[in-house]
Amino acid sequence: MQLNAPPGTPAVPLVSLKGVEKSFPGVKALSDVSIDLYAGEVHMIMGENGAGKSTLMKILCGAYTADAGEFHYKGVPEQMRGPRDARRFGISVIFQEFSLVPHLDVAQNIFLGREPKGRLPGQIDRACLYREAQRYLDMLGCDIGARTQVHKLRVAEQQMVEIAKALSQDARVLVLDEPTSALSDRETEQLFGVIRTLQTEGVAMAYISHRMGEVFELGDRITVLRDGKYIGTKLPFETNPDDIVRMMVGRSVDMSYARNFCETPGETIIEMKNVSAPNGITDINLVVRRGEIVGLSGLVGSGRTEVARTLFGADPISSGEILYGGKPFRGTPTMARDGGIALIPESRKTQGLALIRSVRDNMVVSGLGRMFPKGWFQPSRATAAATSLIERLRVATPSPFRRVGNLSGGNQQKVVIGKWLNAGSQLFIFDEPTRGIDVGAKSEIFALIDGLVKQGNAVLMISSELPEIINVCDRAYVMKDKRVVGELSRGQLTQENVMRLAVHHG
Amino acid sequence: MADVSLAHRATSRFEIRAPGIWIILAALLLVFATTTPRFLSAANLTNIGLQSSILLLLALPMTLVILTEGLDLSMGALMALVSMIVGLTSAAGYPVPVSIAAGLMVGLAGGILNGLLVAKLDMPPFVATLGTLGMAQGLAVVLTDGQSVVDLADAIPAIFSVAVFGVPLPIWLSVAAYSVTHYILYHTQFGVSIFAIGGNRDAWKLSGGNVDRCLIGVYAFAGVMVGIAGFLFTSRMSAGHPTASLGMEFDAMAAVALGGTSFEKGNGWLFGTVLGVLAIGVLRNGLNLLGFPSSVQVVSVGVLVLIALFIDGLRSKP
Repeated sequence: MQLNAPPGTPAVPLVSLKGVEKSFPGVKALSDVSIDLYAGEVHMIMGENGAGKSTLMKILCGAYTADAGEFHYKGVPEQMRGPRDARRFGISVIFQEFSLVPHLDVAQNIFLGREPKGRLPGQIDRACLYREAQRYLDMLGCDIGARTQVHKLRVAEQQMVEIAKALSQDARVLVLDEPTSALSDRETEQLFGVIRTLQTEGVAMAYISHRMGEVFELGDRITVLRDGKYIGTKLPFETNPDDIVRMMVGRSVDMSYARNFCETPGETIIEMKNVSAPNGITDINLVVRRGEIVGLSGLVGSGRTEVARTLFGADPISSGEILYGGKPFRGTPTMARDGGIALIPESRKTQGLALIRSVRDNMVVSGLGRMFPKGWFQPSRATAAATSLIERLRVATPSPFRRVGNLSGGNQQKVVIGKWLNAGSQLFIFDEPTRGIDVGAKSEIFALIDGLVKQGNAVLMISSELPEIINVCDRAYVMKDKRVVGELSRGQLTQENVMRLAVHHG
Repeated sequence: MADVSLAHRATSRFEIRAPGIWIILAALLLVFATTTPRFLSAANLTNIGLQSSILLLLALPMTLVILTEGLDLSMGALMALVSMIVGLTSAAGYPVPVSIAAGLMVGLAGGILNGLLVAKLDMPPFVATLGTLGMAQGLAVVLTDGQSVVDLADAIPAIFSVAVFGVPLPIWLSVAAYSVTHYILYHTQFGVSIFAIGGNRDAWKLSGGNVDRCLIGVYAFAGVMVGIAGFLFTSRMSAGHPTASLGMEFDAMAAVALGGTSFEKGNGWLFGTVLGVLAIGVLRNGLNLLGFPSSVQVVSVGVLVLIALFIDGLRSKP
């Protein structure tokens, strides 16, 4: 494996990981991945969802322990057993979700757990605390008062506090996980300024990004991962965005599923017209027709789930309109349910099912009003309804009274689908329908989804798995930064096309 | 994204944290001062201070407990047990310092029990302190079969009314308790850990902080304060009483809420609690002077809390 060193850097990398392997139950997250970071470089890490970027960074900062592989510090093999070791080598991570305490001030957060000691036992030397904190803030050149409470700061400022915190711990290696995802253009420029300052101070930075623009603006080197494997490292001037996209896509397809695609879709069931919402989605136009499976693709955080929630009435809209069955629809989840919209959420166990209740109870819960309009629950009718759904969906359960929590992931997903069938739904919105489901059960889930549209229902499917979108959908929208940036017809659906839109380099 | 200049929204140290409690306190003072001539007399104001002192001793540690996203339901019951222990030791002829020490030990023990249940057994504070409430209440009643203990040493009732530099001792004790709690909360690492555990427990753990030690410390501190409060209560009643203090934790929680401390995310300030205690004291005293029964007072404290939270809520809306 040839790792290019950036020009004009020291001969020995500050830290490197060599031949790292990491498995989780059922998934090989990383296999034989190596990466090195030189002092003063910004090393961009790219890859689509699930490529292994975050796992690699968590190994670098000691949050995960690698199954195999070596950690080198200044060229010497060292032990990396946990966060404490990482701190010893000056490795710090700025996560997307900040580790700040909202109602403490900036200085207290920077020195959280490491407060300068005063004369009395347990006392904090407040003068020293604020003086030192201000010193690190000034070093970053940002205009934040050390006494401001953190919850009053904007996201960008909170990020600066995180960076100041890392510096105060003498960080020599900084891991930035999509740091610009919540920043405005101006804030992004400020952050880049800080990153350049840190560069001249000799800090090594690993920078996870999905934005082609900043990757080429800021990166000294670009490493691409795919499917937990190392694909390659490039210098920015010897490559271009198209090259990088080509390296990112081409995931091996671990599903054998083929369906008859929909040639002649039916009438439009739901349509979003220029919809914007307080949850962030902007100017969304989208159509779903009966008989077709429409994909909603894009990277994590691009706004797909927000679109689903808005369609289901769980989030309000601020402008534009939603037409459902040709009529304006602006409702609550209850109205959506009664109108025949089903939301099968990503987090099956917390949002889709009551795990300690039986298969029967879960299956009838959304259709209670329909089945028992007078309000009297009749156990025998509920059991009969559940039994027929269990047969129809081929749920592997010994009885309708089995606790849902005891079923496998695939069977749980079938129970969720059954619940909505029983509620009389016509539009099914799936958010990551195969998350946590093993390969065999996946094609069964897709067969079910296919069955739904063959009966004249409509499906909108969110998936982070490109192969799923490519192999299952009749049509797909691609989102980026809370907007729909493209629509791909069946013929245009290739991994490369989707990824190019998702990272959008103009 | 609005182009907000960083400079003008920098530190706002003089911003009023919880306007609700200031408005309410001012309104109450105005109403009672105009409707009841006796209200502003020195004797009555001292009386308000005396009545508020015991509540403050509970509300201060309650603030710390609530900042950790906890709750202490056992305060009133534990106070009753302390009161009975103080009464019984005194009636048995032990010197007053022994009674005080015994009361403090009982309070501390109850507090540590709460802390251990919450920290080590990971019980929700509501459940853990409810258990302690039950035990303390049962013990307090069982000791004398529900009778109060009246044959105390003469010094015990005297302590409540003794004046130092013209100010009654309980008020001095309140000032001291506030100063100590303020120091703990704002000038020690323990205080930082209290905010951190309520605000972002993971952040505190990742910084190498010890969550269990902080929680046990907070509940133990509450226990000691309950011990002091229980002694003062006995002194004021001139008796060890097994039930009179029950439910005082709710006034303490009301005072904390009135003072603008949130029950979530470690969001609060200690001085607000003092204002909350005063508002409750003023309200009860004023209604008393106007001749309202205590049932009306209980209702009005509830209404007061809702009004304060409503006013603060108005401000936090975008």
